Formats: sequence, C-alpha cells, structure tokens
Amino acid sequence: MNEPKNIGQGLDRIDGLLKVTGAANYATDYKIKNVAYGVIFKSTIAAGEIATIDLSEAEKLPGILTIITHKNAPTLNVKGGIRGGALLQGPKIEFFGQHIGVVVAETFEQARYAAQLVKVTYRNGEGRVDFEKLAKEAELPKEKDKADKRRGDVDAAMSSSEVTIDAVYETPIEHHQPMEPHSTIAVWEGDKLTLYNGSQIVNGAQSAAAATLNIPPANVRIITPYIGGGFGSKGGQWANLVLTAVAAKMINRPVKLALARQQMFNSVGLRQKNVQRMRLAATKDGQLTALAHETVTHTASDAEFVEPCGDCSKLMYATPNSLITYRVFPMNVMLPTYTRGPGKSTGSFALESAMDELAHKLNMDPIELRIKNEPAKDPSNDKPWSSRTTVQCLQDGAKAFGWSKRNMKPGVTMEGDYLVGYGVAAGTYPARQRDTSALVKLSRKNNEVEAIVELAASDLGTGTFTILAQTAADALGIPMDKVAIVIGDSQLPPAAGSVGSVGAASFANAVNDGCIKITDELIAKSGKQFFKRPTAREMMLTEKLASFESRVDAKPPAEAENYSVHSFNANFAEVWVHKTTGTIKVQRMLAVTGAGKILNPKTARSQIIGGNVWGLGMALMEESVLDPRYGNFVTRSLADYHVPSNLDIGTIDTIFIDEDDKVPNKLGIKGIGEVGIVGVAAAIANAIFNATGKRVRDLPITPDKLI
Amino acid sequence: MRPFKYSKTSEASKAVSIVSGSPKAQFLAGGTNILDLMKEDVERPDQLVDITRLQINQVTTLASVGGKAGVKLGALGKNTEAANHPLVRQQFPVLSQAILAGASAQIRNMATNGGNLNQRTRCPYFYEVSMPCNKREPGSGCSALKGINRMHAIFGWSENCVAVHPSDMCVALAALDAKVEVQGAKGKRSIDFKDYHRLPGDQPEKDNTLEHGELITAIDLPGNSFNKSYYLKIRDRASYAFALVSVAALLETNGSTIRRASIALGGVAHKPWRAYEAEKFLAGKSATAENFRQAAELEMKQAKTLAHNEFKIELGVRAIVQALNQALES
Repeated sequence: MNEPKNIGQGLDRIDGLLKVTGAANYATDYKIKNVAYGVIFKSTIAAGEIATIDLSEAEKLPGILTIITHKNAPTLNVKGGIRGGALLQGPKIEFFGQHIGVVVAETFEQARYAAQLVKVTYRNGEGRVDFEKLAKEAELPKEKDKADKRRGDVDAAMSSSEVTIDAVYETPIEHHQPMEPHSTIAVWEGDKLTLYNGSQIVNGAQSAAAATLNIPPANVRIITPYIGGGFGSKGGQWANLVLTAVAAKMINRPVKLALARQQMFNSVGLRQKNVQRMRLAATKDGQLTALAHETVTHTASDAEFVEPCGDCSKLMYATPNSLITYRVFPMNVMLPTYTRGPGKSTGSFALESAMDELAHKLNMDPIELRIKNEPAKDPSNDKPWSSRTTVQCLQDGAKAFGWSKRNMKPGVTMEGDYLVGYGVAAGTYPARQRDTSALVKLSRKNNEVEAIVELAASDLGTGTFTILAQTAADALGIPMDKVAIVIGDSQLPPAAGSVGSVGAASFANAVNDGCIKITDELIAKSGKQFFKRPTAREMMLTEKLASFESRVDAKPPAEAENYSVHSFNANFAEVWVHKTTGTIKVQRMLAVTGAGKILNPKTARSQIIGGNVWGLGMALMEESVLDPRYGNFVTRSLADYHVPSNLDIGTIDTIFIDEDDKVPNKLGIKGIGEVGIVGVAAAIANAIFNATGKRVRDLPITPDKLI
Repeated sequence: MRPFKYSKTSEASKAVSIVSGSPKAQFLAGGTNILDLMKEDVERPDQLVDITRLQINQVTTLASVGGKAGVKLGALGKNTEAANHPLVRQQFPVLSQAILAGASAQIRNMATNGGNLNQRTRCPYFYEVSMPCNKREPGSGCSALKGINRMHAIFGWSENCVAVHPSDMCVALAALDAKVEVQGAKGKRSIDFKDYHRLPGDQPEKDNTLEHGELITAIDLPGNSFNKSYYLKIRDRASYAFALVSVAALLETNGSTIRRASIALGGVAHKPWRAYEAEKFLAGKSATAENFRQAAELEMKQAKTLAHNEFKIELGVRAIVQALNQALES
C-alpha cells in the first residue's frame, strides 16, 4: 500500500458546499417532468376494520387524478420485505395512523385537501395499546437470537453475595425523526421503475420494492445520492416507497410523495419501549458474581421486532453467573425497528446505571469497579478480543475530563444555585465488514489521471463520499480532487448498507481492494518487473493507457470470525441541576472512542457529537407518549416530541483511541455510527445521581422527576 | 388545507368591516399559528384578511400615569422588536424576558404582538382532528380530561376543557395589568388584560372576550412603581418548549418590605393566571424566603390537578419562590 496522504486527515466533506448551498439533490429535489403529487391518509383507530370509505367529496375536487384505497389497490406481496405493513391490501387496521389510502393530484395542495375530505367509518376492534396492562402477557420471542442465555446460577449468587442491586429501568418509545422526512419520486418507463428515495441500504430498497411489487429486481432502480439522515428508519423500507410506485403506475405519470412531519410518527418505525430488570451481585471488594438483564417489550400486532437490550450485558463484564432474557407481547402500534445503537443505547442505560448504583453501594469509584470486572475474553462466546479499549477509554477519559474532581458523595457539590455531578458510562458496538463490490475506472488525459469509483453505497450525511475519496486517492496515488465517488444508485456494483456501523468498513475496504486490484492488473498487463511497487497513476502514465477499469467483490476476512470484534467507548458528563426547580443543564460531555482506524477525524468527530446529542435527548427529553385509550401518539409534532435544542448542548469533546487492529478488516476500521450514542444516557443519569442523590430509572429525566 | 379567500388592506376599518361581516373570516398577521392550524384542518376560515400592511407596528411612549410613563406596543410589531426595544427593556424587563422565553428566534421574528395574545392552545387533542375536543368542535367532549394531561391546567378548568394558554408574553402582560386596545364594527374599546382571556367554563371554544371581527390595534403597558421583576420559565428543554410552569413576578419594595407584588403564572390555566392570593399575602410583608414560600403555597392550595400533572403544584410553589427570589436580586 502507498503512504497514506489522505486517510487519517480531518478533511472537510467534499459534498459540504453542495449541501450548504442547496445544490445537493435529495430524493424529492429531482426535477421530473409531469410529476403528480401523492398524499397519504391514515386510520384514526388502532384496531378493527374499515367499514366504509366515502370518497365522493374528495373526488369532486379539481386536479384529483386518483384515490387509492384497499378497494382498488393492486395485489402486492406483503412478504416482499417492506416493513410495517400498511400496503392497502385489505380493510384491517393494525395500528393508529396506518396508511389507508393515497390521494394523487396535480398539486400537493389539492391532494392534501382531498385527503382531508375523505370520510371513513370503522368497525372498532379490541385495541391492544396499554403497555402496563399487556406487559404480563409477554412471551419468549420467536427469533432464535432472543432465547434465554444462562450461565451459572444468578439466583443463587444473588442470595449468597454480599452486595446486590435489583432495579427496573424504563426507556420510552422514541422516534428517529431525521431532518429529511421519508420521500419518494416514482417514475415508470414501460415495465422499468425508477425510485428516487433516501435509502440506507440501496440494494435492500431495490429488492424489497421489486418483491413487493411482484416485478424482477432488475426492473427497479433506486437512486439515493444524498440522504437527510435516517438513524435506522431508512434502513428497511416502508409502505410509502411502494405506494408511490403504485400511484405512478395507476395514473401512468411520475408521482412524488413526501410524508408530513406528523405522519412520520406512525409510518417508518420507532424505537420500542423497554422495561429492563437488572440484577447485579458482587463481593464487598467489587468483584461481580452475577449479572442478569431481563427485558420486557412490545412489538407490532402482526410482526416481531425486539431490540437486543442485553447485548452490552453479554460481554461488558466478567461474571461467573449471567442471565440475559427477552419477553415480548404484541401491541397495536407501528412496527418497532432499528434505531441508533439498537439495543445497546437502551440496554446500556440499564446496565451502566446499575453498575453506577453498585459502585455507590460499594463506596467505590465507578471507573475502578468497571476496570476490576474487565473480562479477559468475550464472556458470551469465549472468543478472544481482537482488541478492547474499555480500560483505556475510561482512564484516558478520566484524565482529560478531570474525573478526580468528582465528589464520591452525591448531592453535596454546589455551584451557585446548582447541584453539580459527574457521571461515567462505558459502551460497545460490534464491528463488522459486509460484502461489497466496487468498480474502479481510470482515465488519462496527457499527464492527468482521473478515477471514478462506483458502488451502490449510501451516504446518510455522515461523510461516506469523503472517506471513500480519501481511500481511493491514497490507494491509487491520485490527488483527491481527481477522484469522483459515485454512489447511491442500485445500478452500480452491489454494496452493504449504511447501517449497524458496517458502512465505512464495508465500503472503504471494497474501494481499497478495488484500487489494489486495478494496480495489480496494470502491473501484470505491463509485463514489467518493479523494484518499488508503482501506483496505478504511475502505471497509467508510463503505459500511456487512455482508460482502464476493474471490479472487485470484497468480502470480510474469514479469521474475523475467530475473534470478538467490537468498538468500545466511555462517556463522561458533568451535569448541573437547579436545586429549586430541577432544571437540568449538561455542561460538558466527553466521548472517548476506540473504533480502530479513524479515516477522517473531522467527520468522525461530528458523528460522535451527533450520537452524544441524541444520547442527551434520550436522557432528558425524548418520549413518544401513547394514549392508552386510543393508541395514538399525543406527542405528534416536533413541538411536542422534544429533541435537544442548541441551548441544551454544552461542550462536547471527543477523543479517539489510536488503535491498530487488522482483524476486523484490512484497513482496521471498526465503525463509529452506532457506538457514539451507547452509554450516553447512563452517563448523564449517573451524573444527575451524583449531583442530586436522586436515582431516576425511567427516561426521560424531566425536571418534575427531580423535585 | 381548505381553499379560502385572501384579501389585503391597509385600512383598519376596512379589515374590521370585512371580518365582522363574514362569520368564518379571520385576520392574518404573522401567520405563525393560524397557518399551521389550517394545514392540520383545525382552523377552517373561508377568508383571510391580511392586515400586515396596517401601520400599527410602532413602540411608542404612553402618557404618564402618576409620574411613570407607559409604553404602547403596536399590535403588528414583531415579538422580537418588542422584546428588544429600549423602552421595553428599560421599563418592562419582565416583558422582554417573557417574550424571549417563548417559541424560537425564527418564530418570534414572524409573530406579532397582537397575534401572540390570540394564539391557540397546544393541547394535542385540539390538533388531532379525529379526536373529540370541545374547543375545536363544541359538544364533542374533552379528550384530555381523562387522557394524557401532563401539560394541562390545574387552575380554573372545567369538565369541558383542561387546556392551557401557551403564551409567555401574556403571562408578563397579565402581571403588568396591560390593556388591550381593540377596534370593532361598533367602535374602539380598551379591555383590561385580566378580562381579555377567559376560563373555559361551558364555552371552551372561546379563548378570549373579543367579538368576532374586533381587531387588536395595540397593547398598552401602563407606567407602574414596581422596582423588581423577573420572568422564570420551567420547561422540558432549554428552548422551544412550552412552560410546565412559568412565573412573572413584580415587586415594589421599600428596603426589605414588600409594598406590593404582582404575580402571574403560565402553563397552569386556560388564561394567564394571576396569583391574587399570593399577592395579597405578600403586601406589607418582609421579603423573606419563608414569606415567599407561604405566599406560593397559599396560591397553589387552590389548584386541582389531573391524572398526570400533580407535579405542577410543588413545581409551582418552587417556581414562585424562585421567581420572587430572582426578582429581589434584579
């Protein structure tokens, strides 16, 4: 490999200017001739059946092209991979706000008005929407991965150990709410369909749309160059994608359909509510003897999704006795789905709060407690760590944060009218590379060599374009501004998704492999021997080639399977709580991350800060409140569903641990997308305890819980 | 959004006569609330009369009352301008603080002073058109009474409506005994602020005592002798969140003695809630933490909570005490 010039540099993102000037096209920014507008209308009951739909008033309006309901919608394959149902295949209602129809009109305003004039009557069913009442019906999930995992005897250890913790932690339903609501333009040309649609997994969107529409995948093209955030909600695809295609087919014209912000609460998945019972047992000197993490949650009425809340508890600490269980019950709500740090962000709130409670009970520093229980290998599968930076994250973080100034005694440190507290939490997220192909095209004009690198990757807004340009430039010996990254199109070589922290590892390794391969091929083609390996650029110049291309199908290294491969982190928070009013200010946060090779420290820092901001929202304000009578969300706009505002954010610092671990993949990338949020809520909750002496175990921690 | 007729005028009398003569017509000023409500099909006017060209947007000095000059806020002045105007900042800092505690900078740049008074409740059931709501559809019932009501009223509610008035600015205006100048088909009148907004009673659809077609032309802030003030807002996030409880506190002190207090609460009732009990208690007393607490407890004793807002009593007590303390330091 060549000397890295760009990898590891904190470079500005190459699409930055396009974005801040509005020149970057998001899905519905494409100018499509003759486009019509679709507006979805939704059920106003949680369970039952549509009895009648009266379209007479709506149809009379000017500009209406068609109204699609279950009565005239084409038959779709409901098992084609579109998540969350709501495909207009029958009168049955599974949740409040289920799509029940689409108005298509010449203008958006006409379609929205008509949608408001549709009159629907229902036969009400028995809605299962009250979590508290239904939780006792929870059963073992069907998914094999969620079976009980038992090691040793937790109950026996609990009764024989010197110090124990037994507490229940609750996290509410949350919503992803990316800046760009889910939006699609569908264009048919004969039997070929193009869908402009924000898709974290470009090929996944293609296959789900094709299978659901009963057409070959080759007939579906997904275009998704820029995405305005997704956080998991644009990983799987939802009914709005396919309904746009159906509408376009029915009127034989392109159709644009964007969900309204309010519709986002019951259209594209959610993070489910979790009730987690944690039990910890330890010796007096802080050696863990048992750890049990038992989660009760809900899923949708017709499909199962269970967040893996016990994932951190499986492997963070050494203990002879361990129990991880899940129980789930169906509810008439939108299908839960992957949401940033799935299972780990929520699960770490329970685990890392409980560890803090244990440290307090032991009168021990919570960092010391964690280090004391550091496992030498992965306790869940006995595999060696490829590398593990928990201890270094905690120690380096403690030094940088000024942890030694923390008062062990809670509720006594004051600054003016504020109680001040420090909190810490550790976290982890698995590191994986997934199959990805890439096509590298080189061209030469005189002494200038340019590269185009193509793959069906996606950029959620995190910097994929930039890190791939850095990777290709270094691997080819070409300046970055002569490298064009072409992604976000299903016609390109297939790629993994920007999900589960696999994006950077999968895409960058494929691009790197592709660049190495094309260099090998250029050298072989020349038939020459070289003392020092030349770059692809040098070969193009010396061989005077006009153009050359090569495709690679990159695969994760097989030996990674023999190791436990994870990113690790530690989060620190300094929180001020007003002694009278309970108002909370998070003054400082520090995130220390050990995630292997950091390709671009600047975009990586932004991503970790983003994770910390959501973690703060999770800790202090985010909650989707369900009315247990009707199953509707009463928090139905961003005025009611609070995400952090600028004023809520104090200082956020990030540190990346310098780590060289080539087990996960050739470039040593572990991924940072998810781990940035893991542990953040617990660090803040622990700081609040340190400040006030009050332990709040149900999120979000609002001022009323502290007075 | 339903189609509607749009017209504009630069004459107040013409605007008043159009809206007065048409039962479903409404004025359009900043549009920060009514346009949202129309998109959601909550408000369904058949005509909007754009009044933004009316020349009633100035902040001017008002003739003095008892040696203290007041200030007149033109109804179409923007919230941002009112909050930052030197006359307001110097003479009525509590109003400036209250305005800046509301909404977001972008919304305050659009929203007008008159419109702030007439913004509607943020009760989620009012917005959810498929649910019963007496305020939106009289006689249909109140979904919040037995529903999710953490944000709802603890004072002056009725079985028909438990919504709260969302404004911060109005809480300060209530404490300042402002006057609302209006012009209607029958002429001009001045409404005392305490009589401007209503309690829901059996007509929750009526937020205030304006007659249909009456136009707010100005808000008068009479001169006063308060020498201490503070606006405290307690909310779930630091910006762009409605109050759990807010307090506008004004004190006239002589040494450590309180001559007079004026206190209004937000986030607790269908209108800005004047804490008359607390005010009465404090008159003539020493400005001590103990007296503040007793006054606050006396006021909050009258509260009647719902299933999810019991916390507002203790939070209300604490907020009143804190606001009085901070006023004292001002």
